[in-house]
Amino acid sequence: MNKEAPLSITERDFILNALREDVRLDGREADQLRPLKVSFGEEYGHVKVQLGRTSLIVRISAEVTKPHDDRPFDGLFTIAMELTAMGSPAWDNGRQGDLETYVTNVLDRVVRHSNALDTESLCILKGVSCWSIRADVHVTDYDGNLIDAACIGIMAGLQHFRRQDAVVKDGQVIVYGLDERVPVALNITHKPLSVTFHTFDEGKRVIIDATRKEEQASEADVVIGINNAGDVCFVSKFSGSPVDAMVFVDKTSVALEKVKEINAIIDKALQADLSKRAKNGMAEQSRAENDR
Amino acid sequence: MVGPAATLTPLARADGSASYQCPSTGSNILGSVNAPVELPGRRDALKPEEATVEVFVKPGTAPAGVGERYVEGIIKGVLGRLILGRERGYPRRGVVVTLATVGGDSVGRGDSYLTLLPALLHTALLALLSASVPLSMTFSATVLAVSDSGEIIREPSTEQAAAAKSLHVLAFSSKGHLLLNESQGAFDFETWEKVHQRALAICHGTSAIGSDGDVAMVEDVDGQPLEGTIRETIEDQVHRDYAWKIDAV
Repeated sequence: MNKEAPLSITERDFILNALREDVRLDGREADQLRPLKVSFGEEYGHVKVQLGRTSLIVRISAEVTKPHDDRPFDGLFTIAMELTAMGSPAWDNGRQGDLETYVTNVLDRVVRHSNALDTESLCILKGVSCWSIRADVHVTDYDGNLIDAACIGIMAGLQHFRRQDAVVKDGQVIVYGLDERVPVALNITHKPLSVTFHTFDEGKRVIIDATRKEEQASEADVVIGINNAGDVCFVSKFSGSPVDAMVFVDKTSVALEKVKEINAIIDKALQADLSKRAKNGMAEQSRAENDR
Repeated sequence: MVGPAATLTPLARADGSASYQCPSTGSNILGSVNAPVELPGRRDALKPEEATVEVFVKPGTAPAGVGERYVEGIIKGVLGRLILGRERGYPRRGVVVTLATVGGDSVGRGDSYLTLLPALLHTALLALLSASVPLSMTFSATVLAVSDSGEIIREPSTEQAAAAKSLHVLAFSSKGHLLLNESQGAFDFETWEKVHQRALAICHGTSAIGSDGDVAMVEDVDGQPLEGTIRETIEDQVHRDYAWKIDAV
C-alpha cells in the first residue's frame, strides 16, 4: 500500500496525447498554477492552503528548549509532515511511505537549509535556552503537487506567526504571555518557494503544478527552489527518466516568475489578515505613536 | 450556552469527513473515515467475521505520543460497539478513522486527554455518518469537571481541568443508555451520580429524567441537548443531499 492506484493505460495515453496538443485536463496553460487560496486561522501561524483540489493546514508553534550542545547560539526549527489516511485513502496511518520521505526532504532543503528562518535570532540565553519552532503540516486533501503547496503553507505560516516575548533578567528567562506583551514576529531572511515541474516525452514537454493524474502520467519531476531575488537555493531531480540540462536553465526563469506571483498572493493575504487583527489587537493599543 | 459547530464532508478524497468546533475549549477537530478498505498483511490480527476499526489521533502541534495511543484505544472501543462490522462488504475490511486537531490548543505532554475526548468522539461519529458506514446507534458525549468545592463544570477549559478534583467523560447512546464512562481523579459514588445526572441532562435534555422543577433549571443553563445538535447537523446535511429528490416530490 501507500501508493495511489495506478492510472489505466488509456487514461495515461489520453493525458499524454492531450499534452502533445498543448491541452491539459483542466484547461490550464503548461506554466499556469491552479487557483491558489491562502487563508489564516484565528491563532498566529495557522494557515490553510488550497491549491486547486490539494489542500493542507500548516500550524506553527514555539516552545522554549535547550539548544544543541554543538550549536549554543542557534535555536531549533523542525518541519513535521506526517501523511495520514485523511489526505488520501492510499496512505496508511502511522507508516512512512516514499512520498512522505521525499517531500519532507525537499521541504527541509528548500526552507530549512536555505536559512529562510534565521535560527540565530531564536537564541534566548547562550547554551541554556532557545526557541524551538515547529511547523506541522496536515494534508487534508491530496491532488498532486504536495511539495509546492506545503512550501507555500510553511512560508506563509512563518511570516504570520508571532512568538511570545522572552527576556533575560539576572540570568533568568522570563516568557511573557501573548496578552502581556506584544508578540514578536519571526526573523525571516528571505522567502524561498519551490516550484515543481513534471516532464513528458523525454523532457520535451514540461508543465508546472501537476495534478495527481498528471503526476502519475509523468516521466520525471524537477524541483527548483528559488526566492524573490532570483537566488536559486535548491535544484533537484531525484528519479525518473533523464531531463535535458537546458530545461533547468529555461525553467528557472519560469520558476522565478511563479515565485513572485505566489509571494504576492501570500503578502496580500497577510496584509489583509494583519489589518483585520490590528483593529481589535493589542498592537494598536500599545503603540507609542499618537494619531494626529 | 452556544452549541458546537459542525460541518459534514468538508474533504474531497476521504470517503467521509467532518469538521467539528467545540465552543468551550475552542478546539477544532477534523476527522476523516475511509471504509471499507483493504487491510494488508495483518490478516491474523483481525476477526474473520467482522470489520477492523482503526483509529488514529494526530495532535496539532506536537509529535504523537502515549496520550494519543491511550485515547485511540478508548475511541476504538466505543466505535467498535457502534459500527455494524458484519454488514455486507465489511467483514475482513478496515474502517480507518483519522482525527486531527487542526485548530485551538493541543493537549500538552502529560496532560489529560479527557477534555478533548467528547470532541474527538463527536467528530468520529459525524465522519462515520458522512461516510455512510452502517451504525447501530448514534451517541453524544460530554466532559464534566468537579472542582474542589464540589461544583460541576461543564466542558472545562485547560486551566479548570488542571485544577479540578476529578474529570469525567460520559457518552450516552441515542436511547439514553450509558455507553462510555471514563473518569480521572478522586471522587465518591454520590459525586458520580450527580455527574451522571448532569451529563444525561446535557446530552438528552431533561425529558429523559422527568420534569422536576429543579432539573428544568439545569436545562436552561445547558441549552439545547447535544443529541439534538448532532441530529440537526445530520438532518441539514441529508436535506441538502436529497434536495433533488425532495424538490421532485
